[in-house]
Amino acid sequence: MPVRLLIVDDEDDVREFAASFFRKRKIEVVTASSGEEAVKIVVSQEPKIVLLDIKMDGIDGIETLKRIKELNKQIKVIMITGRDDEEAKQKTKDLGAYGYINKPLELDELEKMVMKLLEK
Amino acid sequence: MFIVMEITSDPNIKRFSLFSLAFAIFFFVSCNSPLFIKGVVKYAPYFTVVPGPLYLLFAIYFGLSYGYATPKLLKIYSGSKSHRRNQLKYIIIAFFLAFMAGTMHFLAAYRIPEIFPHDILVITFTLIFAYAIVRYRLLDITIALTRASIFVIVYTLVLGIPFALAGFLGEWLSIHIGQNWWMAPLVLMAILATTGPFLYIYLQRKAEDRLLKEQKRYQDTLKKASLGMTRIRDLNKLIKLIVHVVAKSVRLNFASIYILDNDDVLYRLGAEKNKSNALVSEISSTSSLINWLTKNKDALVFEEIKRQMHDHTTEELEDLRSQMLSIDASVVIPSFIGDRLLAFMVLGEKRSGEIYSQDDLSVFTVLANQAALAIENARFFEEAKEMQEQIAQAEKMATIGTMADGLSHQINNRFHALSMITGDTMDTIHLVDMSTYTPEQKELITQIRHSLERIQANVVQGGEVVKGMLKYTRKGDAGLMAITLDKVLDATLEMVQYKIKLSMIDIVRDYPKDIASVVGNLTQLQEVFFNLIDNAYDAMMERKDTLKEEGYRGRIRIYTENVNSGFLTIHLEDNGIGVKLEDFKKLFTPFFTTKVSSRRGTGLGLYVIKKIIASNHGGTINVSSTYKQGTRFTIELPMHN
Repeated sequence: MPVRLLIVDDEDDVREFAASFFRKRKIEVVTASSGEEAVKIVVSQEPKIVLLDIKMDGIDGIETLKRIKELNKQIKVIMITGRDDEEAKQKTKDLGAYGYINKPLELDELEKMVMKLLEK
Repeated sequence: MFIVMEITSDPNIKRFSLFSLAFAIFFFVSCNSPLFIKGVVKYAPYFTVVPGPLYLLFAIYFGLSYGYATPKLLKIYSGSKSHRRNQLKYIIIAFFLAFMAGTMHFLAAYRIPEIFPHDILVITFTLIFAYAIVRYRLLDITIALTRASIFVIVYTLVLGIPFALAGFLGEWLSIHIGQNWWMAPLVLMAILATTGPFLYIYLQRKAEDRLLKEQKRYQDTLKKASLGMTRIRDLNKLIKLIVHVVAKSVRLNFASIYILDNDDVLYRLGAEKNKSNALVSEISSTSSLINWLTKNKDALVFEEIKRQMHDHTTEELEDLRSQMLSIDASVVIPSFIGDRLLAFMVLGEKRSGEIYSQDDLSVFTVLANQAALAIENARFFEEAKEMQEQIAQAEKMATIGTMADGLSHQINNRFHALSMITGDTMDTIHLVDMSTYTPEQKELITQIRHSLERIQANVVQGGEVVKGMLKYTRKGDAGLMAITLDKVLDATLEMVQYKIKLSMIDIVRDYPKDIASVVGNLTQLQEVFFNLIDNAYDAMMERKDTLKEEGYRGRIRIYTENVNSGFLTIHLEDNGIGVKLEDFKKLFTPFFTTKVSSRRGTGLGLYVIKKIIASNHGGTINVSSTYKQGTRFTIELPMHN
């Protein structure tokens, strides 16, 4: 079974191009435009890695992370945030997030992190 | 006697004066009668009169008048202030000489030899009066003369006509009216005595209106102006108006006003009219001029100082004189609110060359006190306005902060999307196998890749700009974590070095290296220490500038204690100027600031600090300070574990 990557972001462009980037690397990508949708996909499709935007309408990234972790502790979640936010960093780390990346990110940076995860 | 009547308003004296005038007229009418003076004989070395029986009565009248008036004068003298005192001194001396002259004259009439020619005394008496009038502004001479003349003329008529009627026309009347002829002068006297006072008052008012027309005109103007003053709220406009009105209506060659500065250290030239060449823009509140005004609470007249110096020169008078010269003052009028000298008005000479009368000075004093109220009023209004502006400014900054926060997120998201698009496209191109492509196609792809790389670089740069902006908005994240004092201080010094010169002072960290961490928020604690160090720096610079001590160097010492379990006590101590006792209670009040204008704070620093420490960290902050020695802030923060 190919590795499944879930990209959660309320920006269409971000979802489209990030998905395109990883698909070219033979990774199966699913996307969700909200926290609620992401939780449903986690239940139905069990992705191995999640790229999760912290700031979203509806339930935010931190809450989504909490719910995902409640469902499955094994899922690796990489948080993506708009700014250097010590508090959010600490909180998501406590909740079991794997990593933390600041926007705007360069895709190679993200690729490195994802690839490192996949090597494990 | 009449002078005493003019100086006081005691009705008894007026009555006594009338009584004595009646006597004087009586003696005047009868001076040709042998009952009064029988003749003149040579009584070596002078001539003297041969007294009749009435003459003795006249001598007694003379003595009584003097005996009555002198104690009154002495009483007024002892209760009078400098200027009046001088005037009275000369009146008393002159009267004494006159009395001596009179006494000798009478004694000579009764063949007791004069020890000194009394005529010389009479001349001296006149000279002293003339001197006092010219030099000591002894009464406004025209007014005094007019009043006295009207009084004498009116009552000479009232009392004199019936006597004259009786004396000269008695026979004629007795022929025509018969036995009861004496009724006619009596009736006439009754009528005249009734109308006399009215006539006197009427004539006096008319005469004074004419004489004091000019003075009355500007006094009225000033009174009206002083009523309107409190309505003006702009301080600058107000003092300009005061100076303008005074200078113009009184026709002065110069006028200015000095106002107490905000920090109570000096009086600053607020406005001036008809610029003088020697203008001092600041006067220290410890100068002799201010001391004099505060002590005497009265108008200060330059002529007066000169006069006093004439009597005896003191260093204080010398100081006053030169200070008044330096501000071109003929008169200085203080404006008090309670005991606080709020301002003073400086008046130059009148264009007419006339002197300042007592009436003038009292009108100016009323004006000055009204001005004090108006100034206080305007100041209060301006302060309130300024405070409102500061609040508005703080609110604006807060709004901008919030906006920038939201805005930067939006911009960041756009950059993020852009980064994804360019990143993925670059990646797509990168993965393309170009071996089959023509050189033109390869060239095209290279160009596209270069463009994408440039877009990506710009996006990253844009992201840095936004990050910087977010740092400035510094929206207080409420999150607390374990943090060391060193880390807080390092972050603070990095920030504070842009505002203050760290090389000018010493900052000593006097605490063990292995000190426990506190539970706090770095950004907020940075704000706290930033403000404390910034304040300490200002205080130390102020001490350096004001106390000018040899070898002084600012020093901030930061040391810790473990007083309360679970809390770390941090002391931040400086050797700056310290806090004045009266300001101490207001330290944590919002918008309270003592910083001088050039580095003036918003007055929000300590208020915000207290909020951060108490509300956000559950700690405490206290301060102790000694003026001219230094200040110590003590902060308690919860320790980590």
